[in-house]
Amino acid sequence: MRNATISARKRLGYKTVVVLPVHYPRELFTAMDVHTVELWGPPGPPRGPGAGRIQPYACAIVRNALAFLASGGADAADAVLFPHTCDSIQGLATLAPDFGGWGKPALRYLHPKGEDGPAARAFVRAELEHLAGDLARLTGRSLETARLSEAIDLHARIDRLRGELLSRRAFLDMTDLELYRLLRRGEFLEPGDHLAELAVAARGLGGERVRRGVPLMVTGYVPEPMTLLDSLASAGAFIAADDYAAVGRRVPLSLPAGDGDPLDTLAAKAFTMPPCPTRGGDQDVRMAYLEALYRRSGAAGIVVHVQKFCEPELFDVPAIRTRFARIGAPLLYLEGELETSLSGQLITRLEAFLELVDSGRGTP
Amino acid sequence: MITRRVRYEIVSRAVGPMLMAMERWGSRLGGRRGGAAKGPFGPPLESTRKLKELTTLHYLSGRCADGAVPVAWVTSGFPVEVLRPLGFHTVYPENHGAICSVKRMVPELSEAAEREGYSRDLCGYARADLGSVATGKTPVGRLPRPDLLCCCTNICQTVLYWYRALAAHFRVPLAIIDTPFVYGEAQPHLLTYVADQLRELTRAAERVAGRKVDRAALAETMRLAREGTRLWDECLRAGIARPSPWTGFDSFFHLAPIVAMRGTRECNAYYRMLRDELNDRVARGVGGIADERVRLLWDNLPIWFNLRDLSTVLAANGFNIVCATYTNAWAEAGSMIDPADPEGSAARAYLHVLLNRDLPYKLSIMKRLCREYGATGAIFHSDRSCKPYSIGQIDLKGRLASEEGVKGVLLEADHADPRAWSEAQAYNRLHAFMELFEDADDPAGTGNPDIPRG
Repeated sequence: MRNATISARKRLGYKTVVVLPVHYPRELFTAMDVHTVELWGPPGPPRGPGAGRIQPYACAIVRNALAFLASGGADAADAVLFPHTCDSIQGLATLAPDFGGWGKPALRYLHPKGEDGPAARAFVRAELEHLAGDLARLTGRSLETARLSEAIDLHARIDRLRGELLSRRAFLDMTDLELYRLLRRGEFLEPGDHLAELAVAARGLGGERVRRGVPLMVTGYVPEPMTLLDSLASAGAFIAADDYAAVGRRVPLSLPAGDGDPLDTLAAKAFTMPPCPTRGGDQDVRMAYLEALYRRSGAAGIVVHVQKFCEPELFDVPAIRTRFARIGAPLLYLEGELETSLSGQLITRLEAFLELVDSGRGTP
Repeated sequence: MITRRVRYEIVSRAVGPMLMAMERWGSRLGGRRGGAAKGPFGPPLESTRKLKELTTLHYLSGRCADGAVPVAWVTSGFPVEVLRPLGFHTVYPENHGAICSVKRMVPELSEAAEREGYSRDLCGYARADLGSVATGKTPVGRLPRPDLLCCCTNICQTVLYWYRALAAHFRVPLAIIDTPFVYGEAQPHLLTYVADQLRELTRAAERVAGRKVDRAALAETMRLAREGTRLWDECLRAGIARPSPWTGFDSFFHLAPIVAMRGTRECNAYYRMLRDELNDRVARGVGGIADERVRLLWDNLPIWFNLRDLSTVLAANGFNIVCATYTNAWAEAGSMIDPADPEGSAARAYLHVLLNRDLPYKLSIMKRLCREYGATGAIFHSDRSCKPYSIGQIDLKGRLASEEGVKGVLLEADHADPRAWSEAQAYNRLHAFMELFEDADDPAGTGNPDIPRG
């Protein structure tokens, strides 16, 4: 489906940029008519000539991405954007363009790490200008202020709907798999098309709770394999609160006022996002955020679903364990390597966990 | 506070040095002076004793530093110069992690961290440190509690996650110097960003220390840091001589002062002494190993827990590590420091460290080192604990071979944790690698007789 979307956009004369995880200013690309397609792996074992060029103790996201790029998987695209999410993606951002695997333009987005402050804000603004310059070279046209304002407005509407669908999950008559497929189509659809899909789904939000079963909160990197969602449903659970880096952590907590310079508005947005370990920030603030999300959603347990070797996620796991143990929330730790399906062993653990959670809720 | 300060000063200036003097005296009485070559090695370096004294004194005074002076826990690539004029006692958890590894304490400490939920796939230094924090166990007696945590992302982003966890544990401020990755040369807005953060850092450190930075003292610290870097470079460059007066394994240990005491007079005095001793050995033709036949480059951090065995196997076969990207990294960027422009020049220097730069730059450094030091082979330590240093090594090894004729071997291990080390497999690979140099038609070991070696 991603390839079909790329082809359709290219026929309309749009440039396409493949984007590595996680955070990037999508509005800038929309404003410059650049189609973005995100690359989360893809799942499955790495194949092709690039498969063995990164050691197996790096995460599957970067190993698979290099193999995918080097085998021509993204040849239809015009450039790749490497946000500086972690050491491994940072390494890939020089390995593929400099030593083979990606021969077209390589763009980088260096987002600041740590706390919000004057230096960080000024840097985001400067990085946005820098990226706009790169995109101008790619497209042959410069950034127009009015177009950027329109794009910011468009993505704000998308963000609002995504936030609403996630936060009012229990009132939405969709399976988790349907909802996550919808949300993840935002990784490659043209934003206007994605907005239209979201609007249709949001019309299904009713005033009555329609989701039955065990409500869970999930935190992690990316909901892969997607069969996890089926397994949850089969075991009688649904995701009531989402803190996946690929999903919930990309919905801003508030939207900055948009009456000034749109680049300033876009820069300010970077500081309105939920806490994410890939951006640093205070660990206690993140734990308080996760606990509030958990309580607000009425979740009865938490699933920590991380990719093996993913340092940003792994370093926070002890704090999550401690925090949720303190409030008596059952916790299941799942570790994956971007498999295409959940192993039988993990399904059994998931089922056992749900039995435990369910018995704790006093339901039969 | 005053009592603690007095105790700290007494330990730093009197008790510590007196214990060191007694140790020296005991060594002389016991006839334990260095001098004689042992096994496949050359005579031991006299400076090593002074290094041990410096390190011991640093950790000894640290035992009573908290409550006496402000204490900062600092990452190895952090612009520590800002903290010196404010009187901070600095602790380097990475250096402490290396000591834990040499003392074979990492499995125990790591298991303590793993019991708290930290994954075994995380950096071994971080696991050792977090395990030490959780248990209070350390080979250095005691680490002072930090008043400030200082983390710079120029060596990796792991330190950011690690120090966030420390900040949550100790409930103290975390100062982050975020150094975005550099492709080619740093763009102006990167330099501005880092310089701005350094100014923010100064204010944060002043709040903790309770006083203002003396700009003249800061300039002097910057001068000392630049000079220390130059002196360390001179020590390393002594290794260009044939035979090299020391081994790369020696240099890993002697790196400690430029990492942990950069910007101090003690650091520079030490490196003057070491440089003079190395140059004296060069003049007398004394080598780090007894029979140096093949000269090698080392890439990545040392395998701290296995240095003795590894160095013995190499030396016994006439192989000497004469240069290392790791030790060289501390001799490079410091030259950019300018005492007249502390923040601006530190921004440039700390952005342009090896691990914060792209692979073509890293390859160019390897090529230069191989040429200057006459290295015909390279050992790439594929370090499970250090992803930023390790990603790209497979390509670097291939390019160094095809473009420079330098043969390479990838040795998978962990810089701190022996549980990730397979001795039989590693030595099998190492012996196979050493056999590559036995070709009589290619004594320089270039892999290509047409390529002349220096």
